[in-house]
Amino acid sequence: MKGYRKYFANKLLWFLVTLVAAFILNFTLPRLMPGDPVAGIVARLAQGMTNTSGIQAIYQQYADLFGTNKPLVAQFFIYMKNVIHGDFGFSFSQYPRTVADVLKSAIWWTICLQFPAIIVGWIIGNTLGALAAYLKKGFDKVLMPVSIFVSNFPFFGMAVIMLVIFGVWLKWFPTSSGYGFDLIPNFSFKFIWSVFIHYQLPFWSLVLIAIGGQAIGMRSMSIYELNADYVKYSRFLGIKDWKIIGYVFRNAMLPQITGLALSIGTMVGGALIAEIVFSYPGLGVTLLHGVMGQDYPLISASTLIITLMVLSANFIIEILYGIIDPRIKAAQAD
Amino acid sequence: MSKVMLEVNGLTTKYITRFREDVYAVDHVTLKVEEGKSLGIAGESGCGKSTLALSLMGYYFAPLHYTCGDIIIDGKNISGMNPDKNISGMNPDVVRKTILGTEISYIPQAAMNALNPTQKIINLVEDVIKAHDPKVSKKEIRDLARERFETLGLPQEVLEKYAVELSGGMKQRTVIAVSVILLPKVLIADEPSSALDVTSQKMVIKMLRDLMEKGFIKSMIFITHELPLLYNVTNDIMVMYAGQIVEKGNAKETVFDPLHPYSKGLMGSIIVPESGLRDVKLAAIPGVPPNLKKPPEGCRFAERCKLVRPECKVHSVEYRTLESGRGYRCIFSEAQLREAYKNG
Amino acid sequence: MKNTLQQVFHSGKFLVGFCIFVGLLLFVFIYPLLIKGPPLQIISQGTFFPPGTYVNVYDSLSSPSYILNLDDAAAKRIASKLNEDDRSAMKDWLVAFGIPDSQIDTSDTKSLIDLWTANFDPKLQLEGYTNAKRNYYVRLNKNLAGLLSTEGAIIAVKNNDTGILEETNTVAQTDYVNVNEVANVRVLPLGTDNFGRDVLTELVKATVVSLKLGIIAGIIATVIGLALGLLAGYIGGRVDDVIMFFTNLVLVIPQIVLLILISFSIGQEKRGVTTIAIVIGLTSWVWTAKAVRSQVISLRNRDHVNLSKLSGHSIVHIITNDILPYIASYVVMAMILQISAAILAEANLSLLGLGPRTTDVPTLGLMMNWAMIYQAHVLGKWWAYMPVLLVIAMITFSMNLMNTGLDHVFNPALRD
Repeated sequence: MKGYRKYFANKLLWFLVTLVAAFILNFTLPRLMPGDPVAGIVARLAQGMTNTSGIQAIYQQYADLFGTNKPLVAQFFIYMKNVIHGDFGFSFSQYPRTVADVLKSAIWWTICLQFPAIIVGWIIGNTLGALAAYLKKGFDKVLMPVSIFVSNFPFFGMAVIMLVIFGVWLKWFPTSSGYGFDLIPNFSFKFIWSVFIHYQLPFWSLVLIAIGGQAIGMRSMSIYELNADYVKYSRFLGIKDWKIIGYVFRNAMLPQITGLALSIGTMVGGALIAEIVFSYPGLGVTLLHGVMGQDYPLISASTLIITLMVLSANFIIEILYGIIDPRIKAAQAD
Repeated sequence: MSKVMLEVNGLTTKYITRFREDVYAVDHVTLKVEEGKSLGIAGESGCGKSTLALSLMGYYFAPLHYTCGDIIIDGKNISGMNPDKNISGMNPDVVRKTILGTEISYIPQAAMNALNPTQKIINLVEDVIKAHDPKVSKKEIRDLARERFETLGLPQEVLEKYAVELSGGMKQRTVIAVSVILLPKVLIADEPSSALDVTSQKMVIKMLRDLMEKGFIKSMIFITHELPLLYNVTNDIMVMYAGQIVEKGNAKETVFDPLHPYSKGLMGSIIVPESGLRDVKLAAIPGVPPNLKKPPEGCRFAERCKLVRPECKVHSVEYRTLESGRGYRCIFSEAQLREAYKNG
Repeated sequence: MKNTLQQVFHSGKFLVGFCIFVGLLLFVFIYPLLIKGPPLQIISQGTFFPPGTYVNVYDSLSSPSYILNLDDAAAKRIASKLNEDDRSAMKDWLVAFGIPDSQIDTSDTKSLIDLWTANFDPKLQLEGYTNAKRNYYVRLNKNLAGLLSTEGAIIAVKNNDTGILEETNTVAQTDYVNVNEVANVRVLPLGTDNFGRDVLTELVKATVVSLKLGIIAGIIATVIGLALGLLAGYIGGRVDDVIMFFTNLVLVIPQIVLLILISFSIGQEKRGVTTIAIVIGLTSWVWTAKAVRSQVISLRNRDHVNLSKLSGHSIVHIITNDILPYIASYVVMAMILQISAAILAEANLSLLGLGPRTTDVPTLGLMMNWAMIYQAHVLGKWWAYMPVLLVIAMITFSMNLMNTGLDHVFNPALRD
């Protein structure tokens, strides 16, 4: 493991840098825009222009927590401090719930839905792509156009279609939310089963789209690798085909891992929208409610959490890549 | 008369293009290589020498197809061998185990790219040896590899490295070492030094000579487009043009006293080539080789030949064999050719 | 150049994509010429009218009528009123009544009705039937009675003076009107949406708006990406490091997050279509920059560039004359991808409620959003979202096909 030190340190540094950048962006972007929501809050406070005293209280609480009357730099540090404590203030639209509370319940739904779906989609997609490259002829001719079409379909499109076919027409699966209306979250079998059933449609929608995108890439990589010189050379030395194929796919897989890291941002974005289609109680719906309720703290915190999730996933994948690609280890050993 | 290691009779292979045309890249090639001897094959790019090498290795993947001819290695007829399909009644696994790598082996062009980027050299050696004899233990393989590499002048550390960590010359020599790990009877070296600098080139050629002298390989075919290079490397030389053999003879006479107008052109203005040096380049012969989709009637070199006569373009030219053992493909007799050359 | 164009149009994939795209464009531009009428005009009262031809009933009464004697008219009339459920209910009753199962054929309307009229007795109390069920059968029977009559309908107008209904007209069951002669007929191939607007007209307009948005965003993204890529690739060194660092930062942070933050903060009033387009363009240049940069790096040591340098040409001159022509193909491909990605991004934003203002023009994303909010998908009103989805898919699909086709032409290494 020692050999990895430089590589890990490198990636860790990058992770921290991007983290800081994310914080800064999340903080400054809204305040730079013409309709600066924070300034709006302050303005409404100052002029006492509110509908009810309740809202006044909420704004006041926000102003106190984030110090909106202080200079910008000071605000930023207060903001950082609050975030580290997990304190995002009250949610404007779901008062008296705190933003942290709203997020806490939503975040797990999203993580448990999206990341397994992306990973499963990645695995299946790559396998199909590899098969297509290897088998050629029949399988390939069918897979290619289907993949191209599916991968170009917007995430929410697939979600809608799956919902309509399997939820509305065939009525195999429920069409919305994370679990039955009548159930309260607990650890009973009934609840867990309900969650499982509600999980299926969103999960498979995401998986299908992920497959489409990956299959094409893997197929191209595999074809490229299959025609590589070392394949010919290995054959000439008498090495068995299946052994060579193993190497080919291992080599083709490596860029795919990197590709996954790069595309996680986009996939998560699309998946959030898919969640909305299913009214799945994750971050997507949280964002939607935040927008509808003009709930700035909720939106700001949600985007921050989403960014953090993506950055962390990115980091983990880069570390995994370092472990899997033997050349990284070798490059460190010198 | 020493044993014949490799005998090729009338080997013909063709490419089938997208438009279903047949391109005979190797046209009735006949050659012999004896034990302890090496044969050089020279010619321009596209003359068919690499295709010949692939054909000898049984690399018949579409669009390359075997048409006819014999390939006999140390008495074993492996014609039409194909590691994937059951052509010529040979089971592909049998072919893999008993012929590829053990009887006949191949060093690819630009061998630096022939190494799997994510595999250590020692693992490649293990794969090769295990493919032929699954029972050999890893330790035995390692010992063999270490010993072999040392004998051939390669540092032991190379075994534990990845391809990306080696220099160009080192990669080439590693590939050579791996190709002969099973002590094949025939080694085909396809442009082994073309992509290297002068120093590395010398080392590669020395290595190949060592292999022959020390008996690791019994015979060798050295393919290159630099004819003068072959003088100090091989015993016999064969010149190919447009898929056919146009001249064959021993090194000295082919380099210093070429008969066929093409060979003559290749030698250019060389008087005394030094061993291994690349200062002497091929003299450019104006024109391009013919399109093999529609081979011309008559001599294929006629378009570019300085001695061309109307008869050349009409009849196909037979290959002549002289008593000395030399051979060439031209309508002129030996005397006529020498006469023509004397006059410049 | 001509040769390239020839090659491009020979590529199968490109042609297919191109044809789909051009077909779409043609439809979208010709349609408004034929059907005039503002796209956002609410034309129906009530939501989600299904697709079809809507004939004004009042006008058809006063249109000339023709007598057509069609054999199956009566059967069709009855069949449209008696659905599958009703038929099986009738069968159940008859079976419970005592008629053997084999004699009853629910698909034969006439015999079923004959059996029914012969046997049904509303006063009969069958075992196990609840009150509600009995009432259902009574109603069913009444409806049938109306169906079987052969009399026509009477049109009466109220006399303003006497307040009595006076007969003006009768409509026989064999009276037909010619749709072309009815004063007011409106074909709604895609029905209406939740607001009551003509979906097809709206869709056409939305496509145009979305394409416009895509092109604006695409141009902005491509210009920025091109500029940064050129600078980073050609100048190299520190400039390259800085630009690359900045690019990688923006790359890792999900575009949707940036879009949400910016879009929300701009506020509803300022969020026009152009504004959104600019915002999308400003956040999606990353891939183009990277692609351009790697191309430029591989180009900058080529002979012709070195020659230019030696000749003393300025950097700007070298970039425009020696490098740009070679990356033109990549730029075109990148632009195509950016346009389709921008349209998708707008759809994503709109579904979150952060899309362009809703009162002026529709966009494809907005139409999806409205359909979703009003639960069209759950209610089975497919015409409100399926066509939109298909149009989005076709646009992205055709553009990606064109891109792949171009890729094959410019990168022959990828040809299988």
